[in-house]
Amino acid sequence: MTLAIETRDVHLRLKRSFAVSQLDMHVPHRSVYGFLGPNGAGKTTTIRLLLGLLRPQSGHITVLGRPMPAAYASVLARTGYVPERPHVYPSLTVQEAMRLHRSFYQTWDQTWADELLSQFGLSAAQRVGSLSKGESGKLLMLLALAQRPELLVLDEPTDGLDPVVRRDILAAVLQYVNDSAATVLISSHLVHELERICDWVGLMDRGRLVAELPMPEFKNGLKRLRVAAAPDHLGPTPFTILSRERNHGSMEQWLVQGWAPGMHEYLASVGASVREVVDLDLEEGFVEMLRSARDRAS
Amino acid sequence: MFQAIAATQWKWTRTTALLAAVVGFALPIASLQSAHETATPQEFIARMQNWGIGYALLAAGSGLLIALAAWGHDHQGRHVYALSLPVSRVRYVMLRFGAGALFLAPITIAVLVGSLIVAMSGAIPQGLHAFPIALSVRFALAGLVSYAIFFAIGSGTTRTAAVVLGSFAFLLFVQFILSLVNVEFNLLSRLGDFVFARPGLLSVFSGRWMLIDV
Repeated sequence: MTLAIETRDVHLRLKRSFAVSQLDMHVPHRSVYGFLGPNGAGKTTTIRLLLGLLRPQSGHITVLGRPMPAAYASVLARTGYVPERPHVYPSLTVQEAMRLHRSFYQTWDQTWADELLSQFGLSAAQRVGSLSKGESGKLLMLLALAQRPELLVLDEPTDGLDPVVRRDILAAVLQYVNDSAATVLISSHLVHELERICDWVGLMDRGRLVAELPMPEFKNGLKRLRVAAAPDHLGPTPFTILSRERNHGSMEQWLVQGWAPGMHEYLASVGASVREVVDLDLEEGFVEMLRSARDRAS
Repeated sequence: MFQAIAATQWKWTRTTALLAAVVGFALPIASLQSAHETATPQEFIARMQNWGIGYALLAAGSGLLIALAAWGHDHQGRHVYALSLPVSRVRYVMLRFGAGALFLAPITIAVLVGSLIVAMSGAIPQGLHAFPIALSVRFALAGLVSYAIFFAIGSGTTRTAAVVLGSFAFLLFVQFILSLVNVEFNLLSRLGDFVFARPGLLSVFSGRWMLIDV
């Protein structure tokens, strides 16, 4: 598996109380990687590290095969970035913002930029500062897409937008991915939004990447089990136990990862029995994984 | 790339640049108007000299305002846009610097045109000479020095600005303490001489700014 983004043991302390640490991230080439985490988890800081906007205190970052931040200019030339907050100069018109942006990217596709402009319903003469939140989001997406990037990095691109605009933006991203086979890193705390479009998931919490796995594994292998008569100490298991809580009597509730139907037999072999297997949707899985990561950390 | 940067920067600078150009054009003409009715060449020179500070102030002010406009919008966006562009940071700074420096040109040209009109007006007393080119070159240099200094300060963070201002405050404080303990040492005057006397950093601003002289 070739990687579009790889980090090894990256560390950056920003404030006394917050640091991104031990960051080992692997974004496969041509994947849509959902970067999940609650607000303040360190997603934006991580993205800024990946793009060379911040410099790590230790560790190694490779993006599109080039070391970061050393090769930031050549990497950014191949990367479309939509930041968390609009960053385009508010006094420019949409047309001027496009002209300025175009001058920095040799791969800029003016025809497609014009198409996106009309598809998004933006007016070229309107001032960027007077755009609504949704229009601003669309403009940022337009600028990122029209440069035909190999890597799209979207930092909460739909945060605070209405469902119609969200759909427009995500549709444009999906269309681009289908057409160009680009890699997409999309951060969000809106879990259900990523469920439809991502094929990999990374989960960030309190400055650490607590899980990273393919979406099918995340969606299908993540279960809540009600288990009876389980022994206190288990040997090696064919699945990962993320959390284990005692309910009533000998009943326990387990959160497991990597569950497959045949694994009832394993539990039977250790004297336990599975009473119920509950599929978790992405949001529940996200919450449970966070809880389990926090429990492990504490 | 430079063209696009210059176009955006022009949008933020044009009001300042155009107003300064109008003032720069009017200064030589107004100085001549004020000196026109004097009786002797000495009085004429004295009147012209009174206006000289105007050129220095205009150059310093233009440099300051154009430099602040160059960075203002990047500061507002916390430099995220600039940092995410695929150019080296040094090159980006040079592009911004070059674009701002370019907008000093119309102001300098306005000073030159106004000065040339004065020089060709035939209203200069006998024995005196006009120096429109020398004045304009000096104006351009002073504008560039001012622009470069404020561009450098403006490129920094709020902390940098605080350090610069804090340094000035510290000097004032030291001077205050020296005067309290009756030490005969004028730190500010020494510092002023160091900066404004040749070959000091701001020496281009000191001395007489004369459009017409002997």
